[in-house]
Amino acid sequence: METTTAPVPTSVPKPSFLVRHQFIIYRLFSLAGLIPVGAYMVVHLLTNASVINGVSAFQENVDRIHSLGKALWIVEWTFIFIPLMFHAAVGWLIISGAMPNTGSYAYASNIRYTLQRATGIIAFVFIVFHVIQLHHFFGAPFKEIGDTKFGAQFDPTHAASSAAVALQPLWIKGLYLVGMLSAIYHFANGLWTQGITWGIWTSAKAQQRASWVSVFVGLLLTAVGVTALAGFSFVDVERAEKVENAMEAQRAEIRALDVAPGEAPAEH
Amino acid sequence: MSDTHNGQGHSHARRTFEVRVLRQDDPESPSYWERHRLDYEPDMNVTSVLQRIAAQAETVDGVHVAPVSYDSNCLEEVCGACTMIINGRVRQACSALVDRLLEDRPGEIELQPMSKFPVIRDLAVRRRRLFRALEKVKAWLPVDNYYNMGPGPRQSPEQQEQAYPLYECMSCGCCLDACPQYSHVEVVRAEGETDEQFKTRENATFDQYFIGAHAISQVVFYNMNPTGQNNAGERLDAMTEPGGIQVCGNAQNCVAVCPKSIPLTTSIGRAGRAATKRMFTKWFDK
Amino acid sequence: MAKQRVMIVGGGLAGLAAAMKLAELEIPVDLMSLTPVKRSHSVCAQGGINSVNAVTRQQGDSEWLHLDDTVYGGDFLQHQPPVKEMTEWGPKIIDLMDRLGVPFNRTAEGFRDQRRFGGTLFKRTAFSGATTGQQLLYALDDQVRRWTVEGRIKIYEAWDFLGPILDADGVCRGAIGQDLVSMEIRAFPAAAVIIASGGCGLIYGRSTMSMACTGSAASRAFQAGARYGNPEFIQVHPTAIPGADKLRLMSESARGEGGRVWVPRKPQDPRPPREIPENERYYFLEERYPTYGNLVPRDIATREIFSVCTEDGLSVDKDRLAVYLDLTHIPRATLDIKLGGILHIYEKFQGVDPREVPMKIFPAVHYSMGGLWVDYEKNAAGGLTMGSPRNQRTNVPQLYAIGECDYQYHGANRLGANSLLSCIFSGLVVAPSVANVIKTAKPAEESLLKSAVAEKQAEHDQMLRRPTGGENPYLIHQELGNVMTKSCTVVRHNNVLREAIDKVNELGERSKRCSLSDSGNWNNQNVMFTKALRDMFPLAKAILLGALARDECRGAHFKPEFAMPGLTATDPAELRREAEAWVDRFDANTNKWLKSTIASCDKQGEVSLSYEDVDTTLIKPRPRLYGLVGAGMIEEVWKARQAAKSSSEGNGSAAKSAPQPAVAH
Repeated sequence: METTTAPVPTSVPKPSFLVRHQFIIYRLFSLAGLIPVGAYMVVHLLTNASVINGVSAFQENVDRIHSLGKALWIVEWTFIFIPLMFHAAVGWLIISGAMPNTGSYAYASNIRYTLQRATGIIAFVFIVFHVIQLHHFFGAPFKEIGDTKFGAQFDPTHAASSAAVALQPLWIKGLYLVGMLSAIYHFANGLWTQGITWGIWTSAKAQQRASWVSVFVGLLLTAVGVTALAGFSFVDVERAEKVENAMEAQRAEIRALDVAPGEAPAEH
Repeated sequence: MSDTHNGQGHSHARRTFEVRVLRQDDPESPSYWERHRLDYEPDMNVTSVLQRIAAQAETVDGVHVAPVSYDSNCLEEVCGACTMIINGRVRQACSALVDRLLEDRPGEIELQPMSKFPVIRDLAVRRRRLFRALEKVKAWLPVDNYYNMGPGPRQSPEQQEQAYPLYECMSCGCCLDACPQYSHVEVVRAEGETDEQFKTRENATFDQYFIGAHAISQVVFYNMNPTGQNNAGERLDAMTEPGGIQVCGNAQNCVAVCPKSIPLTTSIGRAGRAATKRMFTKWFDK
Repeated sequence: MAKQRVMIVGGGLAGLAAAMKLAELEIPVDLMSLTPVKRSHSVCAQGGINSVNAVTRQQGDSEWLHLDDTVYGGDFLQHQPPVKEMTEWGPKIIDLMDRLGVPFNRTAEGFRDQRRFGGTLFKRTAFSGATTGQQLLYALDDQVRRWTVEGRIKIYEAWDFLGPILDADGVCRGAIGQDLVSMEIRAFPAAAVIIASGGCGLIYGRSTMSMACTGSAASRAFQAGARYGNPEFIQVHPTAIPGADKLRLMSESARGEGGRVWVPRKPQDPRPPREIPENERYYFLEERYPTYGNLVPRDIATREIFSVCTEDGLSVDKDRLAVYLDLTHIPRATLDIKLGGILHIYEKFQGVDPREVPMKIFPAVHYSMGGLWVDYEKNAAGGLTMGSPRNQRTNVPQLYAIGECDYQYHGANRLGANSLLSCIFSGLVVAPSVANVIKTAKPAEESLLKSAVAEKQAEHDQMLRRPTGGENPYLIHQELGNVMTKSCTVVRHNNVLREAIDKVNELGERSKRCSLSDSGNWNNQNVMFTKALRDMFPLAKAILLGALARDECRGAHFKPEFAMPGLTATDPAELRREAEAWVDRFDANTNKWLKSTIASCDKQGEVSLSYEDVDTTLIKPRPRLYGLVGAGMIEEVWKARQAAKSSSEGNGSAAKSAPQPAVAH
């Protein structure tokens, strides 16, 4: 409840920057949810699900990402962390102004509205946990910076095994399931609301059809996500390490033979 | 003519029901619940309940009380005046039939003022913010004059069928009260403030908060009109100012509670599309 | 010096049309209204708005025929020049409303669609679904909002008009208003005050009118010295849904779109209506009025429905009076596009789908043809002189009345879809008149304003302080409604009217002893209602006295004692004789009663009557013969006499204006 009270207010204070540019900020927020944040999540889930193709297949996918080397840092910040933090910050602003009322108005769309906000919060908390647990801190690139007791458990050179170890405790699996489903719901439902916000589906019928598409996308991503999670659970850590070690050794061998452009080959 | 229907219901024994009303003596006072017991009559609605309460002026405990303040006018759900929260849901009192209400919740009816507007007294609220939103989005056609200039532009039946439902909006405020994004904004008049000063300050405050589905729908209505298209951009700009369409959270309660079944979410989608186009036009065409 | 302002009381179609036009003329306007103007009673108007249009014109229609239908339907009781002007403005007004964005229904080619309404054989009525009044009002409201933002109009919503401020010369210099929230009483100086407060249906307790239609504003002007014309002419609409708090209108457009009124031939036939075969249904309007069918003028349809239920005992229900209004033969899609609004109302309030099951309806008090007496200035063409300060002016200088609360346009019976036209028309017409008044009006003295406020404040304080008198205003209102409904609606008898006058006088006295259950000074709806209730009595008395005095049948005013029944003879010579006698009686009655009732109210609230001749210079009064038995013969006699008269006058000029009476045989 906003109450502006007496005495003698002659004028209303100038609205803040956020209020003055509300439209464009909210549109960027909406966009950020789809691209890059949402799109990244899809790629991420697909990559992780590739673990069911075998430890080496997964490792190759991870290698491809990490082949960016130092540039990965820039890519992560530009396309993941900054948009994510922007989306989260504006999202928090939006959520703090919401007055959910599913008690009085238990309509499906209203419940989805409330869930969208709840899953937004859950997903964000989960992502923070997830990044710290596996990645170290935002922007601190994995194990290359150093170990902490809890964080940075993911080793890009031992992708499947290190992920499988990190996900081993049952409570972690539960947490991942909740966090992942929240993120997927938030994304799929967000697709639907975004279509209205930008004016892609306007009629009630079109919105209905679009909601089925969103449900489909959500279910598909759930399948992918659960596959990934299950995939990591079934990884035989010892065997995986052997495979990864072999692959790393191979990579080291290749690196040793490699020559940067314009550099003289090393003497052997 | 008023005798044509039998108001006594003598075929069954005297039946009563209770009405719980959330009362508030004035904007500064706290609210409190009060209970009234009424004789059941066939074909009653909540406005006739409030009329009986006014005539009876006595609570279940036999305390004499002032009549419950409430707004009403047409009593056939076309003016929007008697909007209130009945058994937890915002709607018009005139079309809330007692038989139905007692089916849903036997023995008792619960009345509260709308939740998003400042209470004047009891069930009467101040809905000026709702009309201010119509001012803000310039919901009118800026015709040259009121002289005889011949008919307006020709329009297809399809255009009319799309426009007409939007103009059935009676500014009742149901869509706003049920909207989880529409906050309660109350501006209290300062000591010694003139009508004009207060209005200016109130408008400036209102303008920072959500305009609501009804106003967005009026933008769509007027921007659809061939004459209205001439200044459609102005309305879109007004609609995307702070508190504009971007505040919509797509809960879609508006369309679910609208007593006139106005396709408000379709309006929101169409307005969103127009705003998107307008944004790109402004960036890249000008 | 700042420009003097104009005060408009009421924000329905008439008030908003006047405000909008005055704003265009750059005259600053104040407008006070009991409700936010968008919630005014005009929203309840459903069916449409009449005017000659391109199609009807080519079928032989003209503004003149619209005038003729209006005065014939109104039984010649209205002055003809304002009606002539109104019918001429009709097409222009609808064009204007079209330009303002009213979503009128369209034909396949994109023109405005029209439907037929009662009392005419032409499809003159433009419409916007079945909520035309609402759509028109919103368009005007939006225009007024535009001028409010520009600062030309100031709206005072939830303000009650307590009366005009008259100076020592009896000139209106402003208005007194009371804020219904803070209860502040304030004087509004104005170069002219325009009353646009609508009808007074609440005097009848339950009617089709809205809760704001107490008639209090008109009554306060009446008590301040403005005269009131034709109070006894109250329209009872043929088709409404009875309800505990209100009688809800079912528009004439339902019949305009093909709806049929019937009752089972077998009294209270227990079968569901759709199972009753055609030959066992009595389509009494179609049988009795073959030409107009279900679209006879309202007074006639009402009387027929009333008598089919009360005299013939053919009501469809045993314990309540009702007839069927049947739309079930019309395709659903058509109904939804053209009548959606009213069908929703029926569905919501009755819980039955009228597309599947015939509606049960009965007449209800609907409109006051009478109202504040207003003047006009006739021009050479027989219409109005635009801009004349006399147009729409009451007998109190600088006090004007427009819309339903003036008495000017509808005579003894209003045709459906003419009221929206008269409201907008009178609003647009009054603006230039007032603009001219302002040029010479003196600003009101401060002392006059102060004493006017002091007087009303004292009255108000007195009411709040009054020791308990034991009377309950809400119960008195119910009693008043019952008395008025029983005595002065469809059928009127002098003995009943006399009793009603006594009863109303008694109730009026009791209303002065109301004890208020709320003596507070914040949004006190109790005191506001009690004030309105007390102001119902002068108008109620005017209605009853006018009805008692008028010993004839004219339009909505029907006294069986003075009815002129159809002819009974079968022998042609005898029939001719009966027709001659009928026409003699008609002429005598016209001489005696073709005059407007003018009610005046003294300081004590006592009402007296006088009469005023009606300007019938354009169309000569003729017998109103819709469906009367022997109408053909009466018409023959009538024509023969007219021909004889005009030839004895030496020239054929009488033929120039009078069109042939539209007679239903």
